[in-house]
Amino acid sequence: MALDRLTGENSVLFIRSEQLFDWARRHSLWYMAFGIACCAIEGLMHASGPRFDFDRHGVFFRASPRQADVMIVAGTVNHKMAETVKRLYDQMPEPKWVVAMGACASTGGPFREYPNVIMGVDKVVPVDVYIPGCPPRPESVQYGFLRLMDKIKAQTGERLAARSDSHS
Amino acid sequence: MSDPRDIVKHSGWIAADVPTEPVTLPAVLVEPPCGVKELMTENLVVNMGPQHPSTHGVLRLLLELDGEQIVRGEAVVGYLHRGIEKLAEHRRYNAVGTLMDRGDYVSGIMNELAFALAAEKVGEIEVPRRASWLRVMMSEINRLASHLVWYGTMGLDAGAMGQFLYAVRDRENLLDILEDVSGQRMMFNYVRPGGVVNDITTTAEAKLRTFLKTIDGYMEEHSALLGGNEIFQGRMRGVGIVTKEMAVAFGITGANLRASGLSFDVRRDRPYAAYDEMHFDIPVASEGDCYARYLVRMEEMRQSIRIIRQCLDGMPEGDHMGKIAKVFRPPAGEAYAAVESPRGELGVYLVSDGTDSPYRMRYRPPALYALQLGEAMLPGLLIADAVVSLGSLDFVLGEIDR
Amino acid sequence: MQPDPTLIAKTLAEAGVEASFEEVRALGYVVRIAPESVRAAIGALKDCSRSFDFLVDLFGIDTGEAIDVVYHVRSFGDDAELHVKAEHAYDSVLTSVWDILPAALMAERECAEMFGLKLAGHPNPKHLLLTEGSQPLLRKSIEIRTAEEVRNR
Repeated sequence: MALDRLTGENSVLFIRSEQLFDWARRHSLWYMAFGIACCAIEGLMHASGPRFDFDRHGVFFRASPRQADVMIVAGTVNHKMAETVKRLYDQMPEPKWVVAMGACASTGGPFREYPNVIMGVDKVVPVDVYIPGCPPRPESVQYGFLRLMDKIKAQTGERLAARSDSHS
Repeated sequence: MSDPRDIVKHSGWIAADVPTEPVTLPAVLVEPPCGVKELMTENLVVNMGPQHPSTHGVLRLLLELDGEQIVRGEAVVGYLHRGIEKLAEHRRYNAVGTLMDRGDYVSGIMNELAFALAAEKVGEIEVPRRASWLRVMMSEINRLASHLVWYGTMGLDAGAMGQFLYAVRDRENLLDILEDVSGQRMMFNYVRPGGVVNDITTTAEAKLRTFLKTIDGYMEEHSALLGGNEIFQGRMRGVGIVTKEMAVAFGITGANLRASGLSFDVRRDRPYAAYDEMHFDIPVASEGDCYARYLVRMEEMRQSIRIIRQCLDGMPEGDHMGKIAKVFRPPAGEAYAAVESPRGELGVYLVSDGTDSPYRMRYRPPALYALQLGEAMLPGLLIADAVVSLGSLDFVLGEIDR
Repeated sequence: MQPDPTLIAKTLAEAGVEASFEEVRALGYVVRIAPESVRAAIGALKDCSRSFDFLVDLFGIDTGEAIDVVYHVRSFGDDAELHVKAEHAYDSVLTSVWDILPAALMAERECAEMFGLKLAGHPNPKHLLLTEGSQPLLRKSIEIRTAEEVRNR
């Protein structure tokens, strides 16, 4: 959605600030460069590579959790890693989202039977989007991000609707 | 003047005496800003990772620093430990490949191959000649793809970005070929005990031939882009020197060992699959620094292309899967099989007790041994050099932790 | 590939190590020694004329009665490989050989934590892969999660 296409030249746009911010947030989902395992090669390296080119969605990597909006949990989380994942999540500024990429981050994947592995990162941090696959193709990650954008939009809508209900 | 020390000039400057008249404090201050009386230096312990862009995964380094120089360093691993060895004891022989793939996830074919070779050794199975050739060809395609990851990230460690995009461009083409043949981009589960799952498809062959037409030019481009860069050379030359004695003492294998002057390659010295029928050179360098490792790996990529060409032209006719029972139960015994993975000698020590799953499978992680060397190399290095040195050793944490 | 068995027998005898030899199908020569003589044996093999100075791998096997610690050494000069096995009782002490073969540093830590052995003479005897206080996961007595547990995650 390009704003000027919507409004035309020299026009004035009335929009709730919340909607404007969420629109901006939706289109600049910066993820944290935090590859745990195999999924990192597909979801972080190849996705930002020339063929899949995540940058065009405004999805770009940041090295520090303090600058990131999204955490892609790309790999198996074990008991040693869980503490770090939690800490990194806590370091990210609000609003923040978590994408569980691949079978391991969603349920433990092929390693779910091993006692050292946590069966899904949702036991450690809240997850917004689960992407199936082992590993998911970069297109799947892209689709996951588009769904995340939809989710953010829907959440704003819900928030606004709830507020107008309470006013009336 | 409450704090008469110089601000701009250095401390050794001899200045005129500063008048020491009492000053009246501004209303906002309760005491004059005296500053710190004297500067103390002490060593600083810095934690790097497990989330750090230049650790190639979830490696954690604890560094004790004196200024920018490392006094002591410790590598902490285990953030990706997920029990490949343990779970293999509960999987059938055909299914262990899925776990092996996820060990060293950038060179899955080699991992499967190591396990398949060990299983074949202990079960005494013959592999059809075509299967061996396909194994070699897919291994080399995978090696090329793996070295491209290293090439891209090595540049990132040294501060370059462009070559990463070029490396991913070529890797995409290679993954297309691997996907066409095996059905997956990364987790192939292609090599099984007894042969390989699929024969090469006509589309994959066409893709491979197109790729081979362009790759020579691309390799020149890669060399010029990174190796020809003066800054990159300056960062790499003479940094992180590993002597031959050190390499042997720490159990280093693969390109890291060959860059230190010892010519040992599993493909030549312990031939497996169809490597004894291939013609290729083993690049060796004697300097043992990061640049030598870079040169050896680049030359290895060229040799891989040479082997792929030979495979494509001389592929023998025949079956791609040997005669093997659906549920494979090798007789009780032990075997060790090794392959030359992009990171070094990847070995599988297999203990069979005659059932349909291994009794014990030991995965020899070449990168774990390289990491030990990396850890021993740290004292005395600058932080920036440490990043480059560790990057040049080419770790994959999935393999270190298993 | 195959080492000279007489040379190895002679080397170990000179070092005062009692060893038994067997040739295992598909594996090659295996030397079996007592856990107390590991350091003497590894040291003697390293110092012999066909110096076995390259540690390929060090790992354990839970045989059901004890832990077999396997030292897989290689000699580049002779181009030979050898497996040295030492049977350690459960919860016994694994003596470090890191000063003879520095390559054993991390592999020993892993072997000790995974099979519940105590590490002696090691400069950094912490756990390598697991958090402190974890179970020795590679022992046969430790079960993996059942299908039921996985389903009701």
